[in-house]
Amino acid sequence: MSDDLAVEIADLSFSYDGADHPALQGVSLRLRRGEFVVVMGRTGAGKSTLAKCINRTVPAFQTGAMHGSVRVLGRDLDGLQVGALAGQVGLVLQDFEAQLFATDVVQEIAFGLEQLGLPPAEMAERVRAALALVGLAGFEARDPATLSGGEKQRLAIAAVLAMRPPLLVFDEPTTDLDPLGKHEVFTVLDTMRRSGHTMLLVEHEIEAAERADRVVLLDSGRIIADGPARQIRRDIELLRRAGVRPGDLDRIAVALALPTDATTLDDVERRLRAGEGARVVTRAGDDSAQHADAGAPTFLEVRHVDIEYPGGKAVLRDVNLHLDSGEFVALIGQNGSGKTTLAKLLNGILRPTRGDVILDGDNLASLPLAHVASRVGYVFQDPDQQLFAASVREEVSFGPRNLGVPKDQLEERVREALDAVGLSGLEDSDPFLLGKGERQRLAVAALLAQRPHLLILDEPTTGLDYDQQVRMMELVADLHRRGLIVVVITHSPWVVAQYARRGILLTGGRVVFDGPLRALFREEEMLDRAHFRIPPVTQLGRRLGRSVMSVEEFLAP
Amino acid sequence: MALYLYIPGTSAVHRLHPTVKLFGMVAFFVAAFVCERAELLLPLVFGVVLLLVTSGSLPNVRRLRILFVLVFVMTFIIWTLFYRQGDIWFSFGPISVGPQSVRYALGMALKLTTFLAVGTLFLSTAKVEEFAYALTRLGLPYKLGFTMTLAFRLVPAFVESGFTVVQAQRCRGFDFDEGSVWQRVRRYVPVIVPVFIGALRRADNMAMALEARGFQSGRPRTFFQRYHFRLSDALVLVVLAGIAAGYLWMWHLGMTRM
Repeated sequence: MSDDLAVEIADLSFSYDGADHPALQGVSLRLRRGEFVVVMGRTGAGKSTLAKCINRTVPAFQTGAMHGSVRVLGRDLDGLQVGALAGQVGLVLQDFEAQLFATDVVQEIAFGLEQLGLPPAEMAERVRAALALVGLAGFEARDPATLSGGEKQRLAIAAVLAMRPPLLVFDEPTTDLDPLGKHEVFTVLDTMRRSGHTMLLVEHEIEAAERADRVVLLDSGRIIADGPARQIRRDIELLRRAGVRPGDLDRIAVALALPTDATTLDDVERRLRAGEGARVVTRAGDDSAQHADAGAPTFLEVRHVDIEYPGGKAVLRDVNLHLDSGEFVALIGQNGSGKTTLAKLLNGILRPTRGDVILDGDNLASLPLAHVASRVGYVFQDPDQQLFAASVREEVSFGPRNLGVPKDQLEERVREALDAVGLSGLEDSDPFLLGKGERQRLAVAALLAQRPHLLILDEPTTGLDYDQQVRMMELVADLHRRGLIVVVITHSPWVVAQYARRGILLTGGRVVFDGPLRALFREEEMLDRAHFRIPPVTQLGRRLGRSVMSVEEFLAP
Repeated sequence: MALYLYIPGTSAVHRLHPTVKLFGMVAFFVAAFVCERAELLLPLVFGVVLLLVTSGSLPNVRRLRILFVLVFVMTFIIWTLFYRQGDIWFSFGPISVGPQSVRYALGMALKLTTFLAVGTLFLSTAKVEEFAYALTRLGLPYKLGFTMTLAFRLVPAFVESGFTVVQAQRCRGFDFDEGSVWQRVRRYVPVIVPVFIGALRRADNMAMALEARGFQSGRPRTFFQRYHFRLSDALVLVVLAGIAAGYLWMWHLGMTRM
């Protein structure tokens, strides 16, 4: 084999112990030195398994039967320990908390270098260089626990980078980050690409592919495409087949047959203005903002609420809003802006320091817990933070039982809730054996069984692949059509654009915008400050003087 | 939430070699441990207070003030009531109070408070990594020191996830304050299961990240932080050894007992 190959995988198959289907089947893949390859595909396609085979964490940690060969930097990995590859293959995981072990930033980066047995003088230089590369210079003395998510992940990357591995593997490094954190990590990846690092990145979002040399699509353990990023991004059908959400601009470029070099917002705008795809540009701007019924009764009202944490730190300041029947609200803002605090205020988990929350005419502070829980459902971000029961049935009936629903009505509630989320027939399954998407929907069912009027969902699409995200949001939209008031906390631009009608933007604990979504999406400066990026299609529409929320709307005749 | 008490600084205590810091803590523990008499504990208390002040550790004492007061007051009350030797002013069932019991209780209260103060001093001036380093230097396996470092990182995360789970279950109408003690313990299942499973998953990821960074890969390791053992460290070590030896000698002679 030639010397410029960093990775050479030949006919690799892998089956986890106890699994029905192989995770990888006959995968062959080569990475040249200095190449940046992005691996995409739906949950369970084998992306993560493939990444972990490259540094032996599979099969060392997750055991199973492996066939075929993996060569890294010319060395066959068969029989090697994970530790033997330390310094050769750097691994960055999705769970940034699990990758930090020290009490200050410098020690964190030095940790791996100590294991390699480097002389201390060299460590100091490497620590400095790694911090500079990820943009954390000046953070030396900080306790990693006090960093933001994006900073933690950058620190984890720096800690791996400092070991100067010829090859870096990233397993969904941005999945758990907010838009600012994602942007920070992608910026680091861009810098690394420019300095010639060989990188393999596993990702859900097409945004990652914009930066890569090559994109590999996996489906059911097989590679279904492997080619230049530009080419694969344009193959909308193929992306859909792999369960990847195609980029807005790519879809538009394909639909309007723009040349392949039109990839950025500027390119596409220029082409459209130059007359290509003219039928779209000349269409008059539509701004038929869909308002909720003006006369709809108010269900919940927040009046002049402040929340301060012990010590006097204000988290919410003078928040005023009301939620009316039939609304679908997106609650957006940077991490730390007070979104989750506000949401927890709405169902009484947190009490206002000053001000009142009025639920259906009663002051929330005077209502017993069960009373609130039967009206306001709150689905936490991570379903695993509430699932505990041995069966789906028990899980779903837990809430109603707590609320004192008579035994003979429990079965009815369970049936109804499982039916709504599409999990009927799984009553006797173990919640922990369900997939992530199913667990997320089960968590919704558990709250639905309490028959709330208002359902709050905290980041319901985080960690799901595109198909699961669509399924989740279609479920929420369906519940909304059936009369539920829905509040979604989310960072996902397309989720906001396609489902919500009203947007509430929080910045520094204050509501800085509350109104129709189309109006919110015009407040570019405000959104920029909150690091919220409106969908590319909306941006393009704005430049062309139109207000559009989706590619379909943009292309509609 | 952070569990560590370390306050960055450049005081004389901060500058000591990690093993000297660890030895100092042990020396003070031993000296206090063998003392029953309050008046003999006073020099130790005075010394620790002096070090707490000069090393800038007082913010932590303030942070832990409730604990300090609780330990002192509770110990004093309990031993006053249950120590049964010497003269008795009055008694009631198993409870008796007399001059000896008050003196003994005062000694015990001072002793435990001294332990707490010495521990606070150590954790305020030594990083968890220094602690781990010192243990390694004393011949204990590096793994042990590292496990301890990890505990300091994990426990707060554990507690935090516990709070979140409690909130999530409260949203499902789950009331924790109902029923008898046993019922309440059983009722914690909906909290314990998610916290435990979350911890297991994290531990799995941690193990992967650790090995990928070469932890315990069998190579000879180095330490980034170099700690120089200076003449001043040797002098402090001698003084500390002297204090511990002095108290042990007094204990041997029976002077520390009431």
